[in-house]
Amino acid sequence: MSEVLKPQFTGARVTRLEDARLLRGQARYVDDFEYPGTLEVAFLRSNRAAARIQSVDVTEALAVPGVKAVWTFADCPITLPDRPFQVGQPVLARDEVRFVGEPVAAVIADSRYRAEDAVEKIRVQYEPLPAVVDSRAALADQPRRVHEHRPNRFLHKTHVTDGFNEAFQSAPHHLELTFRWNRQTGVTMETRGCLALPDPVSGRLTVYAGHQSPHGLRGMLARLLKLPEHQVRVVVPEVGGGFGIKAMFYPEYVVVAEAARRLGRPVKWIGDRMESLLADAHARDAIHEVAVAYDDEGRILAVRDHVIGDTGAYAFPGFPGAVGEANWATEMLTGPYKIPHVSIEIECVFSNKAPLGPYRGVGGPIGAQVQEAIVDAVARALGKDPVEVRRANLIGPEDFPYHTPTGKVYDPGSYGESLERALALVDYERFRKDQEQWRAQGRYVGLGLCVFVEPSAMAESEAGSIPYEAVTLRMEPSGVVTAAVGTGPTGQGHETTFAQLIADQLGIDVKDVVVLHGDTDSAPFGGGTGGSRSGTIGGGAAIRAGQALRRKLTQLAAHLLEAAEEDIRLEAGKAFVAGVPARSITIRDLARTAYTDVARLPEGMQPGLEVVARYQPPGAATYSNGTHLAVVEVDVETGFVKVLDYVVVNDCGVLVNPMIVEGQIHGGVAQGIGSALLEELRYDENGQLTTTSLMDYLLPTAEDVPRMRVEHIQTPSASEGGIKGMGEGSLIAAPGAIAAAVSDALAPFGVFVTELPIRPQQIVAWVQAAKTEAQAG
Amino acid sequence: MIPSAFAYERVQTVEQAVRALQANPGAKLLAGGHSLIPLMKMRLATPTRLVDISGIRELRGVWKKDDRLVIGALTTHREIATDRVVRTHLPALAEAASRVGDLQVRNRGTIGGNLAHADPSSDLPAVALAFDAVFDVLGPEGMQTVPIDGYFLGPLVTALPENSVITAVSLKLPPSGTRSTYVKYPHPASGYAVVGVAAAARVEPDGVIDFVRVAVTGAGDVPYRAQAVEDALLGQHVSDDLIREAAAHAADDGSISGDLFASEAYRRHLCSVYVERALRKVLSRG
Ligand SMILES: Cc1cc2nc3c(=O)[nH]c(=O)nc-3n(C[C@H](O)[C@H](O)[C@H](O)COP(=O)(O)OP(=O)(O)OC[C@H]3O[C@@H](n4cnc5c(N)ncnc54)[C@H](O)[C@@H]3O)c2cc1C
Repeated sequence: MSEVLKPQFTGARVTRLEDARLLRGQARYVDDFEYPGTLEVAFLRSNRAAARIQSVDVTEALAVPGVKAVWTFADCPITLPDRPFQVGQPVLARDEVRFVGEPVAAVIADSRYRAEDAVEKIRVQYEPLPAVVDSRAALADQPRRVHEHRPNRFLHKTHVTDGFNEAFQSAPHHLELTFRWNRQTGVTMETRGCLALPDPVSGRLTVYAGHQSPHGLRGMLARLLKLPEHQVRVVVPEVGGGFGIKAMFYPEYVVVAEAARRLGRPVKWIGDRMESLLADAHARDAIHEVAVAYDDEGRILAVRDHVIGDTGAYAFPGFPGAVGEANWATEMLTGPYKIPHVSIEIECVFSNKAPLGPYRGVGGPIGAQVQEAIVDAVARALGKDPVEVRRANLIGPEDFPYHTPTGKVYDPGSYGESLERALALVDYERFRKDQEQWRAQGRYVGLGLCVFVEPSAMAESEAGSIPYEAVTLRMEPSGVVTAAVGTGPTGQGHETTFAQLIADQLGIDVKDVVVLHGDTDSAPFGGGTGGSRSGTIGGGAAIRAGQALRRKLTQLAAHLLEAAEEDIRLEAGKAFVAGVPARSITIRDLARTAYTDVARLPEGMQPGLEVVARYQPPGAATYSNGTHLAVVEVDVETGFVKVLDYVVVNDCGVLVNPMIVEGQIHGGVAQGIGSALLEELRYDENGQLTTTSLMDYLLPTAEDVPRMRVEHIQTPSASEGGIKGMGEGSLIAAPGAIAAAVSDALAPFGVFVTELPIRPQQIVAWVQAAKTEAQAG
Repeated sequence: MIPSAFAYERVQTVEQAVRALQANPGAKLLAGGHSLIPLMKMRLATPTRLVDISGIRELRGVWKKDDRLVIGALTTHREIATDRVVRTHLPALAEAASRVGDLQVRNRGTIGGNLAHADPSSDLPAVALAFDAVFDVLGPEGMQTVPIDGYFLGPLVTALPENSVITAVSLKLPPSGTRSTYVKYPHPASGYAVVGVAAAARVEPDGVIDFVRVAVTGAGDVPYRAQAVEDALLGQHVSDDLIREAAAHAADDGSISGDLFASEAYRRHLCSVYVERALRKVLSRG
């Protein structure tokens, strides 16, 4: 079957099928599910970063009316898996607390109000311990070990290319920079939560949760509750944002599920905002000490990077955040540039902070900012235009497949082209002239670039190590198709994009494809959504499943129309003979026949129209790319940064739905603005988290996010459909672009940004210091 | 983020409100709820009873009385921001009210609640200080007036007598020909003033400043009149240098403090920047 498909929906701006219910407020999130007799949980969380628990007195709490149970570790002695670091987190603190926000006790009551009243009545005696909060000190086990039985440094690895030392030492120029990214987190509009429903008859447990990996969640729950997997059903309803945070497995889920089982009642917990800032997976929090060797033309010859990553008190099962961050940042350290040599050293430590997990882009944003800052620093040192230095270093079309010094193999992309198009969109030469004039008027406007490479659809990611996805397709007798998928969308529009791909295979309307996801009873086993894998791997499976069903429909049509299979076309709801459109049968008739008029089926054909397909892409990853260009103005009196203009030229291979791709970009850029200018989880020297509300953890608002201009280039991948993943690239690129723009704006003051987020008061301090220095000199 | 249990009662008159406060130690008035309810949700405030005064009609509205503008305590920020009388006679108040939080906050929050709550980052206190506000207050002892001078005692602490209700706030209208403004650096999340400056000034035809008021909010524990700035300006000829030099004293009268978003040094700096910006607006000619 080599017939060329005429895609009608793939690549079109199909309005999201999800939007009607979302925009009308009719979508149902975990908290919208109400079952009679539901009990609610409130957690008592540690208010200490590090302390030994001497006693927990729950007597008064138990006396609060409506309270059914108050649990400590003794009542729910379950510990999350601890491999490979031997530091599993007890679901309720056991003997010791290790971060502010760690669950210590759980109150299960007939309402959340009552549960919170009771939480206030639990008395805990703590014996305080010195908190480990500084990652450099932590390396030397100072002031102490977070886990007595093992050193704080739990990971140390190096990667040095052959010939690095020689290349580095023989280079004519060197520079050194130390980068610091403070802690951040992916703030989801819907907080985490879950609802567990026991079925006393079957013994089955149904768990509703906002999660990115329905099957992953089921597996972990079954394992920890010691239930056979089929006795646990996970249902992921609408999810209000995931960003990696909701790919993790958290202690609260175990407590809620166990409570439902033991009390025989539905039990619900919905985190509040304070809980989510305290105990959702945190991210970033790394130091990169970088040394660069380069030549007179600005060609970068070798880069050394020493990373210190702080993973917090525990490692999430399957995803110790600091390792993910450091690995991604360093593996992608050379980005789109032909830098032949690297020397990488990674050290990751435990600390008395909340556990680090994945947040959109994982180490990508740090890696991209480092990579771009290196180029900008070289340009500044040589007095060259940063664009020139980029052109001198970029991987060209002739270099693909490109082998990076960190062992990655890039499939073809459009690195140089995306840069040139972005520059053209803002008229770069003209901008540089205007910039001079503005500076003369005391206006500090800067332009920053980030030419990014985004690894996607990797065999392993925070969504686990399932390298494939599955789609089951069933065409009903009505001709409508039901597709069940194992991915876990949290707003990405899978119901639309997968429907587009399937509809094109079957020649039916996109609205006649209903995509089901999130229920382990109906969805085929899958890895879920994370690591920008759903479009490529899930989309590939959708295409494969569509192809399989198309073959069967074609066979049946050929038989009924008495034509050769090669001559059958499926289009616009009909099967017809090529060149003879009048010889046709509707797909609906085909479907009806397949189920209810089986005497007319060709010999040997099974009744019904149902297939399952699994897809695993050929490569270890496919690499999207693009260029972000930010123009910012800095008010040097107040330190306020305003983004004036923002341009994205994006290449994620074949576009399934440009509108959805652009939506992903808009959101990622918004988060990037937050990452670069606002968002910071701050711990004080005692390990207290001081940013526990959205009044202190600053998020960008609509006012802070400019209109963006987005253009596309399409360099297909070798995967099915030519699709590349693109869920993270915008957040990978945006912080670096903004940081570079601020550096550029403040170049007259000698400012070069190496720490994110950039706080207004820091800008004022820089400018004042430069002015004082100028006066003194 | 769920309040502890409390009783709720809705009153129809100010007298009823005072009686309800007297009868229930631990009771608090509820107006727009946009300062009190957030505190209750964090369990930072745990009143045993809320006395809802939001239905008392006569506490709403703006009117001119002699050389004062009288504003009912329940008048919302939005009503003030869009009121013709306010916009004509006290543009700085309209500007300040129009920049409180966001639209929802302005639709609910009241001037009485704002000034009673005395959040050190609130906008309205700067304007109240600049225009010699006086509170009309009904308490157990009957009606009395409370001047703004000495009213703000500390963060969330005022000289308002116990168990009393602000019924109105009146502001003294400046001499005719005065220009006034309110400028602020809004906190990126709440919109509250990281630093907010109310300024009013009149310049005689010969360029001499014969009336000036400058008040600063957001910068420290309590909002304050920037006396040193006023002293540097009054009776002087307007000039760029004069403005800059006067603004350098912006923090002199305050007890400036830092928080998570803005350090003390940064706030001092912002005081000068915003006083200078406000002064440029009210002193620029033409
Ligand atoms: C998201 C958000 C952003 C905000 N941003 C700003 C901002 O930028 N600038 C700003 O200035 N404010 C801001 N506010 C606060 C807002 O202006 C409040 O509405 C106002 O401060 C309080 O008014 P209220 O009517 O809501 O008072 P309530 O919350 O009802 O009451 C506040 C306090 O005043 C007492 N009280 C109320 N009325 C009276 C009265 N008549 N007599 C005596 N006591 C009384 C109450 O008992 C209570 O203690 C913001 C609030 C929110 C939620």
